[in-house]
Amino acid sequence: MKIEHFLEKNEVREITIFNQLVLNGGTLSYGKMLNHLGVSKASLENDLSSIAVRIEGFDQKVQLQYDGQTIGLSMSDDLSLQQIYRLYLDQSIKLQIITFLFKHQEFSITQLTQKLAISESSLFRKIKELNSHLKEFGIKIRNGQMQGEELQIRYFYFQFYCYIENKVTFLAEHPNDRLTQMIDAMEKFLNVTITPENRERLTIWLIISNARVSIIDKQAKRLRTQMKAYRKDPFFHKIQVFVLRYFSRYSIEVDEVESMIHFAFLLAFPVLTEPDFHEYRLLRDRHAPIASMDTLIAETIINHFKYRRLPYMLERDMSYHLTHIHTRLYFFQGDIEIYEYEGIIAKEKQIVGTNVVSFARTLLKTSTKTLADKTGENNSLLKMELLKYISLLVLITFKMASVIQVGIDLKMDGLYKETLGELLILKLKPIKGVRVEHYDPTKIYDLVLTNEEPKDQANYDDARIYILSEILSSFDMVNIQRIIQELNK
Amino acid sequence: MRVVIIGASFAGVAAAFEVRHIHPDAEILLLEKQDTLGYIPSGLHLYWDKKISDLDEARFVTEGQLDKHGIVYHLNATVQKVNTTQKIITYDQHDLSDQLSYDKLIIAAGSRQLSEKITGSAQESVLKYKRYDEAQAALIKVEESEHITIIGGGQVGVEAADLLTTMEKQVTLVESMDYVLFKYLDEDMIKPIEKNMTEKGVDLRMRQTVSSVEMESDQKVTVCLGEGSVTSDAVIMGVNVRPHLPFLDETIKQHTDQTIAVDRYLRTSVEDVFAVGDCIQLSGPGEDRVYVPLINNAVRTGIVAAANLIEPSRTFKGSLRTIGTRVFGKYIASTGMTEAESLFTDRTVESHRQEVRLTSLADSDTVTLKYVYDAKTHELLGAQMISDANILEKINVLALAIQSKQTLEDLQQTDYFFNPAYSQMTATTNLIAWMDERADEDEN
Repeated sequence: MKIEHFLEKNEVREITIFNQLVLNGGTLSYGKMLNHLGVSKASLENDLSSIAVRIEGFDQKVQLQYDGQTIGLSMSDDLSLQQIYRLYLDQSIKLQIITFLFKHQEFSITQLTQKLAISESSLFRKIKELNSHLKEFGIKIRNGQMQGEELQIRYFYFQFYCYIENKVTFLAEHPNDRLTQMIDAMEKFLNVTITPENRERLTIWLIISNARVSIIDKQAKRLRTQMKAYRKDPFFHKIQVFVLRYFSRYSIEVDEVESMIHFAFLLAFPVLTEPDFHEYRLLRDRHAPIASMDTLIAETIINHFKYRRLPYMLERDMSYHLTHIHTRLYFFQGDIEIYEYEGIIAKEKQIVGTNVVSFARTLLKTSTKTLADKTGENNSLLKMELLKYISLLVLITFKMASVIQVGIDLKMDGLYKETLGELLILKLKPIKGVRVEHYDPTKIYDLVLTNEEPKDQANYDDARIYILSEILSSFDMVNIQRIIQELNK
Repeated sequence: MRVVIIGASFAGVAAAFEVRHIHPDAEILLLEKQDTLGYIPSGLHLYWDKKISDLDEARFVTEGQLDKHGIVYHLNATVQKVNTTQKIITYDQHDLSDQLSYDKLIIAAGSRQLSEKITGSAQESVLKYKRYDEAQAALIKVEESEHITIIGGGQVGVEAADLLTTMEKQVTLVESMDYVLFKYLDEDMIKPIEKNMTEKGVDLRMRQTVSSVEMESDQKVTVCLGEGSVTSDAVIMGVNVRPHLPFLDETIKQHTDQTIAVDRYLRTSVEDVFAVGDCIQLSGPGEDRVYVPLINNAVRTGIVAAANLIEPSRTFKGSLRTIGTRVFGKYIASTGMTEAESLFTDRTVESHRQEVRLTSLADSDTVTLKYVYDAKTHELLGAQMISDANILEKINVLALAIQSKQTLEDLQQTDYFFNPAYSQMTATTNLIAWMDERADEDEN
């Protein structure tokens, strides 16, 4: 599911116009814009005038100039594209349908047509469109209710209130005292630290959960099956005790599904800090699906990069992120694509190379095969988890890239030595992961470049030595690059 | 002034008497859904315990007492709708619909013991016996049953388990928490009870949630758990009670847990409408609002609401969730905050457990006490007791101490009698380190 699925076609086009202008330094010719949008000039003119009306509310802070030739955008410094999205989303009928459904849990068609001031047929059409996107979450709007597995419904609302609806307003609308008390108690009971950023995430989740806790006849067949492997999990047990104790204070009946839902959430989203998660990792059953997938993927990564092992903290960090990825794949379906997937993949490819991206795809294939039967290129959850694998791989590559120290020790007259040395440094500098400098006998090097066979090898300690045949020759350069690659492995 | 009270259980009746006391001229009308008056919800336990010889003896009020105070009551009257704009109540009585206007309304409709999560728990073979007719049915069913499964290890469940084992029934008790009576006692205090339960043959199934109850073809009932199932002759529901208020109109604000929102004077969001007893949340031991459906709260809220009918004059002081009972050969009592529940308070809490002798005599019984108090100020916040001897009354001393915000040091200064046959060097309810029979300093 994408943010634009909450908007009408013409609104998506208008947003695209903004997007294109931002990507192109604020101005774009009509020709290029028409090409990109694939519409007629008249239709573009229409869109532009529609935009002009919409942005009136920004009081000159956003200005759009167009004269039939070029389109220009200027925005005040305190405004970003995000607020423009917000403007469109705030007027979205589909968004209002979801918000209404969350607040009231049930609606009648008349109630909703009156509230939104739209016809019955257009309400049905919008619900139908929404349902086509909710499908990947395994849920649907039917008979005036959100139907599907309870975990999926809450997960969808969570994504919705984090990324689609105005988060700030949502948080402000829900009084915080009891939630603060609940989170504080949770922190104490689970013996964890919840950072402010994670606290906000957890607050949104708990608002949603508490609003739905009393609903009768929740569906949880799938979750119950998934949880079979976690019945004895120590963290699940703690959550269960907490949930029972918390709700025993109110006239609310909870069954074990409530604890299962929180368990899945707390492991799939960054709520625990890495050190707290690590405590759990030491206790959890290593043969349970998520943990064993974490191990398998971690080993695959280490083998792929031919690392013997990762530094301790990096390995812990990797495991932390992998658990989030695998918990999501195991328990959840669907996602809201908050990042432009294709764009990011393209950019990542440029920066990290196609290898990383295709390796990430292999990892995803391995994990989805075991953890979840989720196929199809258009599944947003798979897309988002692929991005996470890529980010993790990039992170590991960066952290593991050891810098190779190269010393240049030319044996020749002072002036030549200086000049040719500088030229060599200049030539070698662009190679990734090397630091080149004039040889300093007090330092340790991985590679020493010289032009004469050293009289005493021991002078260079354990450094590898390459004797240049012809300074600055391409022959030497090829050899040096080969050695650097070898050293890098 | 016509005062209508919905519900003639403890809260409703207490309110009615108090209204009569304050307003001798008021017209007071009680509407009761059941066809009997004043049945004590735990009447069946009294019967099983041979404290009464007939269920009919389990009454806390009689028709005569109401008549004497000029309180009119309608039994078998089920309220269908409350219209707070016109101040009219619609109710059914003997299949006829009738209407009644009010000047002041007190909602004391109580609670019911029903699970919405356990499939099949509403069927008749799953016994609940808060009401007289239910108790009669349960009495017969239990008599003809050999093996009984109890769902819920709260006060009702554990008391039932005790009585049924005494009656030589085979008992399985299912509880979703790690230990029974978790609302009232900490885990370290409950161990002797659980030990006695196991010794008496109770099949304890802790950390198990019931998902459904299914009738078998041979009249047996199967309780399906998260892991496995139990098949027995009868099932008793001992789960938490909850209000059931389908007759409310939208103007009366409710909390998300379906309780009616009231202020400190027990006024609802609508003028002239009050709510009491099991229909509301109260200020609990941690001073935040919680749901504490206990009879003592029902009575006290009924009295306070009655006092505030004309103008707000008396605030409700809150509940310490004080309980006392005897199960599996032990007297247990609790008041205020438990250590486990201190999770929900901002205060830093410490606890201390001690075993002390009840008298100065050599053959004296002992009592194990647990004190929960503010680490900084030493203000007493909660207390728990367990003993072979009847120490139940002593919990009231500590409840009063908590309510009057006394510190441990204040308690030591309290003036109690000394008589070696009945007391110790210091009173039982004083936390004095050197009196410990077995000092057991808590790790906190």
